[in-house]
Amino acid sequence: MPQVKIVARNFMDMVASLPTVKLDMLYDNSFICEAILRSLPPLAKKYVLQLLYIDVPISAKSMEEWVLPDGFSKHKVAIDRLIQLRVMTETFDRKKEATYQLNPKFQFNLQKHMVHGGVLPREPMSSNITVRLPSLEELEAYAVEQWECFLLHLISSSEAGKTTNISSSMMKIFQRGLLSQRDDREPPSLTESGFQFLLMDTNAQLWYIIREYITNAEERGVDSADLIAFLLELSFHVTGKAYNTNTLTDLQRSIIKDLSDLGMVKLQQGRKESWFIPTKLATNLSISLADTTSRKQGFIVIETNFRLYAYSTSKLHCEILRLFARVEYQLPNLIVGAINKESLYKAFQNGITAEQIISFLQQNAHPRVAERIPSVPENVTDQIRLWESDLNRVEMTPAHFYDEFPSKDVFESACDFAREYGGLLWEDSKRMRLIVKADILTEMKEFLRRHKQ
Amino acid sequence: MGHHGHGDKSRPSKKFKFASKEEYRSSTADDDQYYPEEGGDDFRDGEREGKKMDFTKLELKPDHANRPLWACADGRIFLETFSPLYKQAYDFLIAIAEPVCRPESMHEYNLTPHSLYAAVSVGLETETIIAVLSKLSKTKLPKEMIDFIHASTANYGKVKLVLKKNRYFIESPFPEVLKRLLADEVIGKARISSEGMYGKDGFTVSRTVNEIEGGHDELINEVDLAAAAEEKETHSFEIDPAQVENVKQRCLPNALNYPMMEEYDFRNDTVNPDLDMEMKPQAQPRPYQEKSLSKMFGNGRARSGIIVLPCGAGKSLVGVSAANRIKKSCLCLATNAVSVDQWAFQFKLWSTIREEQICRFTSDSKERFRGNVGVVVTTYNMVAFGGKRSEESEKIIEEIRNREWGLLLMDEVHVVPAHMFRKVISITKSHCKLGLTATLVREDERITDLNFLIGPKLYEANWLDLVKGGFIANVQCAEVWCPMTKEFFAEYLKKENSKKRQALYVMNPNKFRACEFLIRFHEQQRGDKIIVFADNLFALTEYAMKLRKPMIYGATSHVERTKILEAFKTSKEVNTIFLSKVGDNSIDIPEANVIIQISSHAGSRRQEAQRLGRILRAKGRHQDRMAGGKEEYNAFFYSLVSTDTQEMYYSTKRQQFLIDQGYSFKVITSLPPPDSGSELSYHRLDEQLQLLGKVLSAGDDAVGLEQLDEDADDVALQKARRYAGSMSAMSGAKGMVYMEYNTGKKGLIKSKPKDPTKRHQLFKKRFG
Repeated sequence: MPQVKIVARNFMDMVASLPTVKLDMLYDNSFICEAILRSLPPLAKKYVLQLLYIDVPISAKSMEEWVLPDGFSKHKVAIDRLIQLRVMTETFDRKKEATYQLNPKFQFNLQKHMVHGGVLPREPMSSNITVRLPSLEELEAYAVEQWECFLLHLISSSEAGKTTNISSSMMKIFQRGLLSQRDDREPPSLTESGFQFLLMDTNAQLWYIIREYITNAEERGVDSADLIAFLLELSFHVTGKAYNTNTLTDLQRSIIKDLSDLGMVKLQQGRKESWFIPTKLATNLSISLADTTSRKQGFIVIETNFRLYAYSTSKLHCEILRLFARVEYQLPNLIVGAINKESLYKAFQNGITAEQIISFLQQNAHPRVAERIPSVPENVTDQIRLWESDLNRVEMTPAHFYDEFPSKDVFESACDFAREYGGLLWEDSKRMRLIVKADILTEMKEFLRRHKQ
Repeated sequence: MGHHGHGDKSRPSKKFKFASKEEYRSSTADDDQYYPEEGGDDFRDGEREGKKMDFTKLELKPDHANRPLWACADGRIFLETFSPLYKQAYDFLIAIAEPVCRPESMHEYNLTPHSLYAAVSVGLETETIIAVLSKLSKTKLPKEMIDFIHASTANYGKVKLVLKKNRYFIESPFPEVLKRLLADEVIGKARISSEGMYGKDGFTVSRTVNEIEGGHDELINEVDLAAAAEEKETHSFEIDPAQVENVKQRCLPNALNYPMMEEYDFRNDTVNPDLDMEMKPQAQPRPYQEKSLSKMFGNGRARSGIIVLPCGAGKSLVGVSAANRIKKSCLCLATNAVSVDQWAFQFKLWSTIREEQICRFTSDSKERFRGNVGVVVTTYNMVAFGGKRSEESEKIIEEIRNREWGLLLMDEVHVVPAHMFRKVISITKSHCKLGLTATLVREDERITDLNFLIGPKLYEANWLDLVKGGFIANVQCAEVWCPMTKEFFAEYLKKENSKKRQALYVMNPNKFRACEFLIRFHEQQRGDKIIVFADNLFALTEYAMKLRKPMIYGATSHVERTKILEAFKTSKEVNTIFLSKVGDNSIDIPEANVIIQISSHAGSRRQEAQRLGRILRAKGRHQDRMAGGKEEYNAFFYSLVSTDTQEMYYSTKRQQFLIDQGYSFKVITSLPPPDSGSELSYHRLDEQLQLLGKVLSAGDDAVGLEQLDEDADDVALQKARRYAGSMSAMSGAKGMVYMEYNTGKKGLIKSKPKDPTKRHQLFKKRFG
């Protein structure tokens, strides 16, 4: 199985990798055009808008003139991105010079969208049908709870209280690369990527999961372009409004069920009608595509005595902390723990590195200590690194142990033999014991068999 | 509340017995016994691991962000130090709970029966404790905690023993408690009921004003709680002075369980003459000193108890101030003669006491004050000494015995064994006892003794707050990792060298070189004054001789000690001194600002803190030391440890107390720096091997710890000094000659084996 590389915002890479036909099909939908526009790097955004009403190809040369010399690398990135997404096409004129032009379908739909605005395939339902919709706060809390519940299931935590409707086969797909299981009797444990995953912010995590969901779509007989189109469309719905489920296709209806398990929508059933309510997780989908990194407020205080205080009510945070610390007290809004040698050794064994732990602690430093330099006490970071390097002092060599030699002669010739093959690790001539590298095991066996005779 | 009991549960197995001095000495050699606290740690950890402390169900108050603390059902309390209510909450918590750790952002405390005993004895009532705690708490208080406070305070602090105009009264605001006491035969008989009947129970009823000190009332007001500030009625009956000790005994937890608080109404004591002295105007107590005094004199009387201040924070000013407020005769007890001199000096420095009103009583100086009132400074041993005394000291001790002391001032109470206290307290009659210490290390079972022998802890300062305020030095602590040389480590691992292990890791050439490097650096680059500590006498001598520095250890005479310390203070030539563990306590060396520790007493947290205390006295200008001032660090504490040896384990344990106070140890792994070191000793392998030979050939007893009596000075009172170690360990020079002779011989054996049968198997084959 290939190692899953965890990259936070690469959803658009996925879009870019769709076949040309499918990509062009996506651009039929003006909302998708807008979502794509939002996702672009700032300079690329500017180029799209600049070219929006220009119908003739623009030479690469003249575009290069728009940029200052030190902005050239950004220019290159922007152009590459636009071409990848087929927002812009590159052609070569007779002088073999590159020219650029916007994808006509994209251009037309975006123009239309800007002038007339978009019309969603469905309107919010009237409030006399949908009685008692959740408030935005309630909805937010619901989304967080669902998402955490999903994550707890994802990392196979025993703390996951509620059950999830996500099928175990789907869950297994999500877990691919995040969890590893040495054998069936042991509970699976987080891999290094799994740890990295947990340390990402919610939007990035969501994108990772959605990406897996899309990649896997074809296996479930779902067209990934349809799926992408629906997800992007969904992000233009209004948070907290109810939308009738009967406006959805069968495919979309099954998707929406999965999304509710992730906390992206809330499903409600009226007397006759049923509807879904998008949460912030859904409507932020396209926003989070852009580079607006909104830093979540940190919550962790580490003291010089290796005590850890996390201002959090989240079971998930508790689970994350447990990966490398010993949790001692859980209070309504505070988790108290300690980092010690044992807890760190456990983390190191699971493939989590000292640097990952340190950067997690630094990135999530509580505002009280975040201003302080360093935000995590130096003696703590030093010690975490020292404990890690302590583990690397010992080199492991698979080896084989021999004793009870019939005679001193056999023992000594065995030693000589092993030495010749460069596999002698240790010998105790007094008690005639010998350790050799596992590499020369077959040669050694052969040698001893010969000597027996 | 099983959690609170566990300290007691773990104790019986390690009971202390002090039958004789000899026995005490032998117990000091045993790490486990001397530091019963070490066991406690594991127990605590084990329990925490096993039982998940899930208090997520506690109800969070809507305005929890404005409140500073969380309280758990098991007695643990977490305090945010960045809360606007921190200062008030700290003062309150330190009065009712034991601090567990106090680093920068979050403090942890434990409610224990002892801490609550201390709380009620400084005048806090059960309901006040619960009300204030509940106001400060972010959540509703757990019911378990409320029950625990009720249960722990039900009996404590309810009864006071008051000495008024030389008549003893038993006082309580609760007449029903007095009735219960009187039902006891001993107490009933001890009562003197010649007075007219006042109250309906036959008790004298009087009114006393509530606490003058307003600390928690202020807090209560601030959190908008009605303070019960009206006058209190107290009931009392008089008892026969001859029966006081018996009555006190009956009130202890093992009998009636109403331990009595002792208070001294010194203003109304007309029998004992007043001592004419005042504090000098320049003796301005700092805020925390003022606070600790206010805890002691809160209600206009003097309470007995213990005040805990870090070393160098000015304990002596608190002691002298207390004596000045009481203004009666004062007996001041210190641990050794040097410290006696220092206390006498402090009295004269801070107060207007006249020369003839103060006297020192040690083996070397037997002064007596003139007139009928004064201050006597002496050592615990001088008072408790049971052997035959000279005629002169017999007279003085007789005077001490017969006098009624206004104040018994006891320095460094944590180092004095309980039996010594019992003796001292039974010999001397005092109205009020004040114990001073820097490190009241918890889990130490002696704390129980101290609680009832002296009194509860009255105040404990927060180290970090004092550092931030610039009152004590800001110390950079570092643990220097010195890898064992290959040769030393090979010997260290051998079973037959088990008794020499300590000598091997202390004499590790890499450690020596790190030490030499640090001395050079601090002497030459910064012009610092350095103390090097070594518990191991062999190492102390080796290091000091090799580096040509003066040293002080148990056998160094008082005169020589004074001379060396004086030179260290004044001479530009003497910037480094080597001290054995005699220097751990109470030798005041204000000039020093660097400590290098090359060997230490196993896992003793107290020793580590005491040693750090030697450099805590703040130097330089006050504003430079304040938080954000010019100098970030003005003192340095290095602990040199040989990696992969027992020392690493001990080192972690030793640091725990300081780490809990908010200190952090930086690990330094490359000293001396890789690009230097050829100018330092033991650079060449042959030198290192020679040193190794020396260590290996020394007798096992020579390389062990220094066996030091509690106060070496005073054992010399009647007879010659006695040490548990061998003479070769004590007499440096002789041992050196002997050892060097041995070294040569050993080297010879190694290079030219005479007996082929003793050859190693491997060589046997090759050469044979």
